[in-house]
Amino acid sequence: MINSMIIGKYVPGRSLIHRLDPRTKLLMMFFYVFIVFLANNVWTYTLLTLFTLSLLLLSKIPFSFIVKGFKPILWVIVFTLLLHVLMTKEGNMLFQFGWIEIYDKGVQQGFFISLRFLLLIAITTLLTLTTTPIEVTDGMEKLLAPFKRWNMPVHELALMMSISLRFIPTLMEETEKIIKAQAARGVDFSSGPFSERMKAMTSLLIPLFISAFKRAEELAIAMEVRGYRGGEGRTKWRQLTWSYLDTLFMLSLISLSILLWLLRS
Amino acid sequence: MTKTKFRTIDLTFIGMFAALMAIGANITSWVPFLVIGGVPITLQTFFCVLAGALLGRRIGALAMTVYMLIGLFGAPVFARLDGGFSSVMMPTFGFILSFIIAAYVTGFIIEKSNDTPSVARFIVATLVGMAINYVIGTNWMYVAYRFWAEAPEGFSYAMVWSWMLVPLPKDIILSIIAGVISPRIYAALQKSSSYSQRTA
Repeated sequence: MINSMIIGKYVPGRSLIHRLDPRTKLLMMFFYVFIVFLANNVWTYTLLTLFTLSLLLLSKIPFSFIVKGFKPILWVIVFTLLLHVLMTKEGNMLFQFGWIEIYDKGVQQGFFISLRFLLLIAITTLLTLTTTPIEVTDGMEKLLAPFKRWNMPVHELALMMSISLRFIPTLMEETEKIIKAQAARGVDFSSGPFSERMKAMTSLLIPLFISAFKRAEELAIAMEVRGYRGGEGRTKWRQLTWSYLDTLFMLSLISLSILLWLLRS
Repeated sequence: MTKTKFRTIDLTFIGMFAALMAIGANITSWVPFLVIGGVPITLQTFFCVLAGALLGRRIGALAMTVYMLIGLFGAPVFARLDGGFSSVMMPTFGFILSFIIAAYVTGFIIEKSNDTPSVARFIVATLVGMAINYVIGTNWMYVAYRFWAEAPEGFSYAMVWSWMLVPLPKDIILSIIAGVISPRIYAALQKSSSYSQRTA
């Protein structure tokens, strides 16, 4: 449980996709989200699906992991499909039963839009599965660096995110410890009337907040003692490197968008 | 956000509060308590309001932004241990966005009081925070279905709201309870040395 929190949903590996620079992956995902909307007929959707599937295969991630990513959003897809199939009243009627009328346009539209959803989720899940949250944070810091000129606190944001990621497991341990300590004193968290349970909750939350604030302060002091004074001229422990692989993938995405543009109706 | 100067302690407070949000969202998934009527409750709204109240509107809202970003970047910090960029496509993502504004507004309400804010003020703040949560979350849901799923005719605004009425009573009760508990946490933190140093 605590372990799964630290690395997020990351699946360790050495595949081509894993080795890509997080900046490439972020940029590719960002453009992909727009490109998906270019597809509007059978050819473009086939092309997009093939491109997405080849990325999934290159990542060498077991398919079950990607399917797991679909699970929370599955009902949205089913709902979208049903909504279109049942409510579109265009084209030729395929089927009629009582008030249910199904038209071919509705089926086609429902299928395309569900597929669009599936493709978007596949790509975004792929990024999450092949990149740790800390890598994404580093990538974002680098990509947004130009915005520093307009007073956007890019470095600070990245730092706060790293602090947060680092302290989630610590605070989880802390929560467990407090729960055990309070249970040892006789607090009952899981049964009893509602008001009693709310009181029990207070006995957990107050120590949790106080310890979190104490940690925050100690951390700030520790940082200042070591000479932290903002992002100016700071060197990096984790370096990002842009290789020919990254250029190659970016080029493939550009050619995909050109093809989609040509094939769309 | 025109002023971008941060003290080191602001940075650590924001990071820590974003981490606390992650705990609040999933506290029930590894500690089997606070399951009411079979549904594990999340304490997200509660923590979000506290972020506004304890850190102030600017830092509180930033803490919620950081929470949203680490979730998007793949840490499973959202409710039901969700995370990753695909969360943006969830129709419920509006709720996560609304935490930023809810924290800002509740922070504003608490800051308006001259000395120690009263329990009534906290209850008002939490209820307003919850209302913001619902209004933004539900509208987002509607827009998400309307435009991303390209929902055809017959899908109405009222339909989305009628879904949201189901968990509403539970959330109102929880907000009031949060309003009662928060001043105690607030007072406890005022007493503890680290927090008062911050405000001094």
